[in-house]
Amino acid sequence: MDTIDKIAVYCCENSGLLAAGPVTDRKILDSIEIMKLPCSGKTEMGLILKTLEKGYAGVMIVGCPKDNCQFIRGSHRASKRVDSAKEMLAAIGLDPGRVRMEFLSSVDSHKFVKAVTEMWESLKIATS
Amino acid sequence: MITAVQKPFDEIYEMIQGYKKILVLGCGTCVTVCMAGGEKEVGVLASAIRLANGKNGIEMDIAEDTIERQCDREFFDDVKDKIEEADAVLSLACGVGVQFSSEVFEGKRILPGLNTKFYGTTLEMGVWSERCAGCGDCVLETFGGICPVARCSKSLLNGPCGGSQDGKCEVDPENIDCAWQLIYDRMKSLDLLDRLEINEPVKDWSTGRDGGPGKIIREDMTL
Repeated sequence: MDTIDKIAVYCCENSGLLAAGPVTDRKILDSIEIMKLPCSGKTEMGLILKTLEKGYAGVMIVGCPKDNCQFIRGSHRASKRVDSAKEMLAAIGLDPGRVRMEFLSSVDSHKFVKAVTEMWESLKIATS
Repeated sequence: MITAVQKPFDEIYEMIQGYKKILVLGCGTCVTVCMAGGEKEVGVLASAIRLANGKNGIEMDIAEDTIERQCDREFFDDVKDKIEEADAVLSLACGVGVQFSSEVFEGKRILPGLNTKFYGTTLEMGVWSERCAGCGDCVLETFGGICPVARCSKSLLNGPCGGSQDGKCEVDPENIDCAWQLIYDRMKSLDLLDRLEINEPVKDWSTGRDGGPGKIIREDMTL
């Protein structure tokens, strides 16, 4: 299996993608690969596992705040699927911390940076 | 439809150890509807196995495919070669499909990836509920379309037991409705309450599972 030293960040185009837009910190941008989702509710277990199979260090799903999802329950649905993926990773013997769900609004760029930084640091600690 | 759930991952993983080439074979009918063994679930399970093998340093070739259903011979034609090439097949069909695959491909190791549960229906996305016990002598006409054999925890045929409280079953009051409450309400809505006063005689259970493995032969349909 190839190793891609990045976190795959699947961003809801209504929130997460807009939050990520203004980020200019090179260190952050080099540690992630952003992919667009029409809604974080499009997340399924298969997407998460296939991404990890490709060799990404981790997967982050960024969706709308739970009480303010563009599509009502999309991010709520994504969160449940991320929980299932964590259980599957634990069953496989992999670190459940390799998958993470974040609820961000379109103006939460600073929270986006914080979430990526935290996840990267926890993944590096886990592998050290 | 027949419903099933996937076996715990560690049980599946233990089953496939020692094989070099595995085919994860899904079924496109009942277990797709109950989201246990369809194409999507095949993909997820195959990924999970590859990730586990990667972690454990195990070399194993994992192939994936899904056919319309594994309980009819004609659908195996498209995957015949893949099955023959595999050391073992991890079937995500119900118990019928796993067994029939074993019969069609004699000598091939066919492993069950699911636990078959019941004949049921989809109440809403992600929720399935038992409706039929396959008793072989349907009594739904007598009970307004609600089956006391499948839906009463005790399969009572002449009214509720003393454990029926507020429309719930004492076996699991949070999750199980009392079937007899449901039957009463249904018969009342159909204006057939008086029919419940007719004593239902002792059931002949031999028409179903209790009579041994079943077989149906339609002489007019055999070639």
